[in-house]
Amino acid sequence: MLFLSTFVNAQVVEKKKDSLGGVLDEVVIITKKNKIKTDLKMAVSVDEFLASSANISFIKRGAYAWEPLLNNMSTERSMITIDGMHVFGACTDKMDPITSYVDSNNLSDIEIKSGQEGGLHGATVAGSIDLKRKSTPFDFAKKWSGGYQTGFELNNNQFFNLANASFSDDKLVVDASISNRKASNYFDGNNEEVKNSQFEKLNASLGVAYKTTDLSSVRVDAIFDRAKDVGFPALPMDLSLSRALITSIAYKQFFEKGIVKVWDTKLYFNAIEHYMDDTNRPENLVHMDMPGWSTTYGLLSKINLQKGNLSSEVQLNAYNNLSIAEMRMYPQDRSERTMFAFSWPWVTTTYAGLSINNLWDISDTSQLNFGGSLGVNYNFSKYVEFNRIFHPNASQEKIRFLPSVHAGYNFDVYNFNFSFGSGYGHRAPSVSEGYGYYIYNSFDRFDYIGNPDLKNEISYEVNASAGYKTKKGSIHAKVNYFYIDNYIIGRILSLGSPMNYQSVGVKGYTSLDYATLFNFSINAKYTLLQKLHWQGTLTYARGLDDTKMNLPFIRPLSYQSSLHFSHKKFGFLTSLNGDFEHINYSPLYGEDETPSFKNFNVSADYTFYIKDYKTVFQVGAENLLNEFYSTYADWGNIPRMGRNIFTSLKINF
Amino acid sequence: MKYLHFTLLTICIVMASCTIEKTDYGAELGIETTEFIEFNEAITTNSGDYNISIAALNGTFYKGYNEIRLKITNSNTNELLENSEITFLPILTDANGNKSSSPHQYNLTYNATEGYYSGFAVFTSETSTTISWQLYINFTDGNKTHAVNETIIVEEQTNKNLNITAFTGNDNAQYFIALVAPQSPNIGQNNLIAGIYRYNKPTNVAGVFPDATQFSYSIVDNYTLLLDPRMPEPSMGNHSSPNNQDLTQQTNGLYQGVVNYTMTGNWTLNFILKNEQGQTIKGTEVSTAFTPGIVGAKGELFIDILF
Repeated sequence: MLFLSTFVNAQVVEKKKDSLGGVLDEVVIITKKNKIKTDLKMAVSVDEFLASSANISFIKRGAYAWEPLLNNMSTERSMITIDGMHVFGACTDKMDPITSYVDSNNLSDIEIKSGQEGGLHGATVAGSIDLKRKSTPFDFAKKWSGGYQTGFELNNNQFFNLANASFSDDKLVVDASISNRKASNYFDGNNEEVKNSQFEKLNASLGVAYKTTDLSSVRVDAIFDRAKDVGFPALPMDLSLSRALITSIAYKQFFEKGIVKVWDTKLYFNAIEHYMDDTNRPENLVHMDMPGWSTTYGLLSKINLQKGNLSSEVQLNAYNNLSIAEMRMYPQDRSERTMFAFSWPWVTTTYAGLSINNLWDISDTSQLNFGGSLGVNYNFSKYVEFNRIFHPNASQEKIRFLPSVHAGYNFDVYNFNFSFGSGYGHRAPSVSEGYGYYIYNSFDRFDYIGNPDLKNEISYEVNASAGYKTKKGSIHAKVNYFYIDNYIIGRILSLGSPMNYQSVGVKGYTSLDYATLFNFSINAKYTLLQKLHWQGTLTYARGLDDTKMNLPFIRPLSYQSSLHFSHKKFGFLTSLNGDFEHINYSPLYGEDETPSFKNFNVSADYTFYIKDYKTVFQVGAENLLNEFYSTYADWGNIPRMGRNIFTSLKINF
Repeated sequence: MKYLHFTLLTICIVMASCTIEKTDYGAELGIETTEFIEFNEAITTNSGDYNISIAALNGTFYKGYNEIRLKITNSNTNELLENSEITFLPILTDANGNKSSSPHQYNLTYNATEGYYSGFAVFTSETSTTISWQLYINFTDGNKTHAVNETIIVEEQTNKNLNITAFTGNDNAQYFIALVAPQSPNIGQNNLIAGIYRYNKPTNVAGVFPDATQFSYSIVDNYTLLLDPRMPEPSMGNHSSPNNQDLTQQTNGLYQGVVNYTMTGNWTLNFILKNEQGQTIKGTEVSTAFTPGIVGAKGELFIDILF
């Protein structure tokens, strides 16, 4: 909804330019300034930025690569893309969500859509998170711009440097960025070191766009990301190295007349390698390597149409992914034969789907959006013998049809805004859910086995929102409810025995008859004084399985409240956030009761100019009271970071 | 600036191309095992007008189970001898000159389509400085019986998937279990084939050597071999696999079941041998407990394999 309106606005801008100059200067229409920062911190990681959204929560296994949960659903149920491109992590333990392969300085925005509205890029249940890369528009005059950001965080000695530069003229645009972050172990609220929580990340990106005609352009993009020596304190293993190369070539054609406005086609390729091992864990009984690879080729082609007050997006998605993961255990006598198995036995996923989103401006105060998609999902397991150990009749290949539809109505009455929506959609099981083999989950300490013949998960969803706005403030409440048929979750198997020495048993992915999920959030803003703003958010969620037992990883009642004051070149912010006690936990799925916690944070910034370059210096502290806590979704109840004093400096030129 | 980033990106691409190599799965499975499917001549000997040739897998006799294919050619006519009555007796002589045998098929079966006589021998030890093996073969042509004996070399079996075990059952009989297949197991389901044999104690006084009644073995019929595979490696904590099937006798006399190997490495096949009445001849149930750090369970009757 939000995005569609952005799109419409962009079209309007484009029309104006068209009528004024007769030439389209902006071939690349989505050009926003860098929004990747939170109220508290101007230099944030992608994870920290996502955490500031009300419908995102995180599973954390350390200080790095948090797994985002959208509407309290894990990444199998959401669709995470980079500019619409599908990228699949290469770690069976989900230690590399796609968000870990970008950095804040090569993104311009992150677009989050809830539920079936997010079905444009592919089948989903929870919704979609699209990471939008920076792309500078063509400009008549030659223009250079750039930014540099550096900072230090005291708690874990994190030192980071982020730089980006752009060049644009009327024919050529170049965007480049490079970033480096290096951190040592962090300390918890009891000032104790959390061992194996260090990380180091290097990210570089380059985008080159060339205007081929007045109405068309070609753009080539590449992101390279390398993380090494990343510790996962909640796991028995660490990441020694991960590398991602994410590339695309896109052709964009604008049309001055007719109902077709833009046709955007992109071919992409990405390769990810992810090497887990336990070289730094001498306490482990068995030495083990777990390398993983994921390679994806894809095509994305989108047409934007507009006629009168109806605008539509039609998108074709096609991709092919090969996921491979191996495990090799070394016997205590290293001269003995190693023990080898595939945890993903060369699983191919091929998907092709057509989706459509429409926005109908019924009047100035009411809009209807509606759409749907139909996809075909094909899986092939090369070494199906692995899957047949637990499921002797498992099929080697599987074709699934994944339909979805959604509709929403949004209207304003005086200062009130209301919306209602509904959706229906299927999703295919993920590679791990379908084909995973002895994937150790250190949260509930079970080895997980996939089932290739799981049924599609089918989601029925309703959502509503109500808002009220005055000059001084606003309040907005959102609610959604998911009824999910064939909800896929791990259940204890009576057969087989664990393979990983830390595990206590074997779980197989099975379908529950159904599960239900309820999410609620309320957000309020108020201007107390001209320069003193208050903002608060409250979220609540509940998830139940078919026997009315709690689902795991459902966030308890949580809140966030912040006060921002600015005066001349100074800005101050204080915020308080926390979770209430996690009462509705799920012992069946390995959860225990988590006590409540609160975090008090402060920051101050000062803006000044070095020559003509705007410079901002910021200093602040997170968890100022050094509270010792872990959240409901902290893997193995590892403690979170204690007091963290951070500083950063940003120069724009 | 631009060139700098291009250079940087080129470096990145070069870096991305050198990675940890993916495991070649086929090669990985063949590290410890070789699968032989071709029968080659292992030994040939002449007796009068006859040439006797015995083929075995890889042209070699190994310790353990050996399927043999014997051909007799009349050197005068160059024709294969058909429908002969052939007896086959392997004899082991130890350092003291004691003679014994091992499970074998005494009367070979004629295969008319292929023109050979088939049988098997389960050699219980390999040829060494103290142990030698001889084959005693009798055959008939018309009404005439011919006898041949020939020394053979029995090689060590390095493929543990063809291991054997010999034991005395609760009924005081001597038993042998020899693994026959798979020679080169896969991760996943494998049809596990084994031969089970019993030594028949002689009831009469020995006649002229070689007296077949003194060296008689038979295939054990209608028993059941219960199977419980475990990994012996301590860090695997007595790991096992699901969906295994006990071995039962097939029409060819061999026993067949299903073993699932969840990964490569050392495995212990724990067995319980039960007779037709369900009485245990040998073997004990093993612990199914998950015991990290402790060597995997081995019962009274087991065979270790490795792949």
